[in-house]
Amino acid sequence: MQVRVRAFARLREAIGGDLTLEVPEGATMSRLLAAVGETSDQAGEALFEESGELRGYVILMHNGRRVRRAATGTLALADGDEVALFPPVAGG
Amino acid sequence: MISVTRDDFDVNAVIGRVKQPDMGALVTFLGVVRDDGIEVMDLEAYEEVAVKEMETIRDEAFEKFPIEAVDIIHRIGRLRVGENILLIVVGAGHRKEAFDACEYILERIKQSVPIWKKEIGKDGERWVPGESHGGDA
Repeated sequence: MQVRVRAFARLREAIGGDLTLEVPEGATMSRLLAAVGETSDQAGEALFEESGELRGYVILMHNGRRVRRAATGTLALADGDEVALFPPVAGG
Repeated sequence: MISVTRDDFDVNAVIGRVKQPDMGALVTFLGVVRDDGIEVMDLEAYEEVAVKEMETIRDEAFEKFPIEAVDIIHRIGRLRVGENILLIVVGAGHRKEAFDACEYILERIKQSVPIWKKEIGKDGERWVPGESHGGDA
């Protein structure tokens, strides 16, 4: 199935722009994040600590709604979903 | 009206649109690009979510304060020093609630609306650090 990944600010620069990734049916958010990290060294470094843990500043959204870090391992994605990755906001 | 746009706005025109006969106060916040030794600023948004979040913030303000109207315009794209970034206009019967609601809306925008700023100067560029993680970590 295909999932659209949108990235913003410094994460957009590291990942290189929006992506459409092919992931296995029923893949979780964690599985998708790993796939994004595998697209390039820069993307991997921007998203993950050396320990493999998601970096503290990464904010996640699934179809426009915030996703709690604790839920990434269980949140199953569906074909056509949109996942967004971004650092803390700085508007206003 | 709530919008995220690349276009500049006419502050007086927005105030005129918001103003109604039952309002005794219109409080306006105008955020502009400050000269911190930068040349330009690039603003980027997760547009659909930013608009929805600002609509949620407007609805919160209506619940918390006895106000009559709210307009919010946030610009994105490349802006020079002195250019308009953000306009909030709150109309109310009286000044106190208009000031309080305007401040509330501004602080909430800084906290949770997905918009980012990159400052570009002669010596390079930097992303303005976010003031908030927006809750959940």
